[in-house]
Amino acid sequence: MTILEKAAPPAPDSSRPPQRVSTLHRREHRTAALFVALPVLGFVVFVAYPILFAIVTSFTNWNGITAPVANGVDNYVRMFTDQYFWKSLGNTVFMMLAIPVGLLLSLLLALAMNRKMAGTTFFRTIYYIPVISSIAAIAILWQWAYNGDFGLVNQALGYVGIDGPNWLQNPATAKPAIMIMAIWKGLGFSMLLYLAALQSVPRQLYEAAALDGASAIQQFWAITVPMLRPVTFFLVVTNIIGGAQIFVEINIMTPDGGPEYSTATLVWYIWRQAFDYLNMGYATAMSLVLGILVLAVTALQFALNRRNHFSID
Amino acid sequence: MTRKSTRAVGLVASLAVAAGALAGCGQSGDPDSLTFMFRGSPDEEAAYTEAIEAFEAESGIEVDMIMTTADEYATKLRAAIVGGQIPDVFYFDPGSVESYANAGVIQEITHYIEASDVVDLDNMWDYGVDSYRYDGEQLGRGPLYALPKDVGPFSFGYNATMLEEAGIELPDPDEPYTWEEWLEILEEVTQDTDGDGKTDQWGTGLNVTWNLQAFAWSNGGEWLNEDATQVTVDTPEFAEALQYFSDLDTEYGVTPSIAEAQTLDTYQRWMQGQIAFFPIAPWDIPVYQDLDFEWDLMPYPVGRTGEPASWIGTLGIGVSAATANPQAAADLVAHLSADPDTQRSLAEAGVQIPNLIDMAHEFAADDSTPPVNKQEFLDVIEDYGRALPPTYTYNPQWYDELYTNIQPVLEGRKTAADYLAEAQPRMQAFLDMANDQSEMSRGTK
Repeated sequence: MTILEKAAPPAPDSSRPPQRVSTLHRREHRTAALFVALPVLGFVVFVAYPILFAIVTSFTNWNGITAPVANGVDNYVRMFTDQYFWKSLGNTVFMMLAIPVGLLLSLLLALAMNRKMAGTTFFRTIYYIPVISSIAAIAILWQWAYNGDFGLVNQALGYVGIDGPNWLQNPATAKPAIMIMAIWKGLGFSMLLYLAALQSVPRQLYEAAALDGASAIQQFWAITVPMLRPVTFFLVVTNIIGGAQIFVEINIMTPDGGPEYSTATLVWYIWRQAFDYLNMGYATAMSLVLGILVLAVTALQFALNRRNHFSID
Repeated sequence: MTRKSTRAVGLVASLAVAAGALAGCGQSGDPDSLTFMFRGSPDEEAAYTEAIEAFEAESGIEVDMIMTTADEYATKLRAAIVGGQIPDVFYFDPGSVESYANAGVIQEITHYIEASDVVDLDNMWDYGVDSYRYDGEQLGRGPLYALPKDVGPFSFGYNATMLEEAGIELPDPDEPYTWEEWLEILEEVTQDTDGDGKTDQWGTGLNVTWNLQAFAWSNGGEWLNEDATQVTVDTPEFAEALQYFSDLDTEYGVTPSIAEAQTLDTYQRWMQGQIAFFPIAPWDIPVYQDLDFEWDLMPYPVGRTGEPASWIGTLGIGVSAATANPQAAADLVAHLSADPDTQRSLAEAGVQIPNLIDMAHEFAADDSTPPVNKQEFLDVIEDYGRALPPTYTYNPQWYDELYTNIQPVLEGRKTAADYLAEAQPRMQAFLDMANDQSEMSRGTK
């Protein structure tokens, strides 16, 4: 045996895959798998399993304590004949009318804030405070403000000679009252996004338009509004998803769902069925229906938005 | 083993570990410590902390207290139960005994209680103890699942200073007013005292959810038939009571109007001395010590039956079926519910009236602090109080339904009889559903 022979590399083993050769590679693989496993695990534990569990539970009679008893589609049938389900669904949809109003107001505010003037930072901060405040604290404050007699709202109306209603105790005004508060609460967030979008509109677009003789209003409609469309789309989608889940303000301001259930929203009703009435199975069925509705509306919005695509080149 | 399958096994293993971590973190398993979950006001927390410290010193068992506000208690407890993290000792109401016992959430504690030196069941209110008996079919009889934390008689009070100023004779504690007599007095005290054309003081200011019971029952009205299968609110007796209740505002104006009541809660108005008659419960006593007028208790005014009526609340303290140390847990229950020192300090803190009958009579005889007529509380417990109507039904949806659409009656836009006639079928439908649910959850259907 010569030295040469001794030093010769071992013949490649064709039965093994090549990556097996590198231990570094193998270690990397393991690390990668670990990194992938975490989100997958999170997804399985916190998303897939609960959804699966909810689907199964929605076909049972379950009080949340004893073992669930299968009852077929009873929960879904019940939903169709449950006037409070429809009423709370209707209320939820009605309250979403606040979304376009809120967006319009926040756009106007953003336009105002986008001007060069003293104190804009101060106002931006002020408008953003409701966004970061605790919703429970805000709901309690507004509950006082809406008080029929000594509330801030009616006192203000009193100065201009209007005898304000007892907002939260009147079926006709309870919903608008909550909508006004929701608009106020969401204003700062939408405004900030609009402001950022406004500031990223290329200046030369306006300059070119001005050279072509476009008026300020024409510039607004032809440049600003289209350039803001992605932000508007984002806000509409997130607002609708959020609006479908409105709960805390309802539960604090009108703990019984308002006079004659006038402010009961679907999530509030689901919560009530689950925890007050021990109908966990029925509540899960309603949650699934709500989830499907939100999914459908969001998908529809994405479909509609695709047609509105534009580019500036 | 191939690499792929190794990885799959690894994933499954880590999933199992994660699932175990999520599901398995129940009791500590440490037999020398207990968790106690309860709810209440800061006053109660202070009083209970003291009671628990005494227990710790006596028994050498360490107790972790988990306290929540009244609003969030039910939700938190339910989440704890579903998550398998049931506290060793916790509060529940009589309405939960059946479902908790059937589901194996709580355990029967009769033999511990009977063997205990602390508890003398003969010296405790039957209402309180019987509320936690369950024989597998019916509440109120059979083995014990809890001892009462308290019994809460909802009594009625009056502002003696205001009545005296109006020249009205103070109510007789043994001779209740009839509705007619009471209404006359209410009209007399409802006054504009400063002459600005606005009413400044009212006869009474009641909340329909918590006060209709006294009127309906005293007039012979009932929510349910005996076996809780039929909603019976559509009777003339019930309608008359609700109409009387609503007329107090709409016809006679002897209570703050709905708008005025929302402006300043009638509870606040009572405390400010603007209201002559108002419901009073034992938990109000500490707050009411500082009122700047004289007040006392009286029986509720009586309807057709001539007998006063009211309701009694109660909460029980029971033991988790999964506790590592049932003996210590039952001892804690006995200590909180029946130990004379604990009861004395809770009563002195004004948190509740004593669970022990002899001590309660002692308490009632003490006329050094208001109310002088403390006996009225005991009369409610021993004589004319009952459980709230939905206590023994699977859920209260049928009961809530009565109040959900009641506003038109309270505003005088609809008669009580019309409203009750149309509400009864809706309530019945919810009750039927609740009874079905109950049977299904017990597996008898």
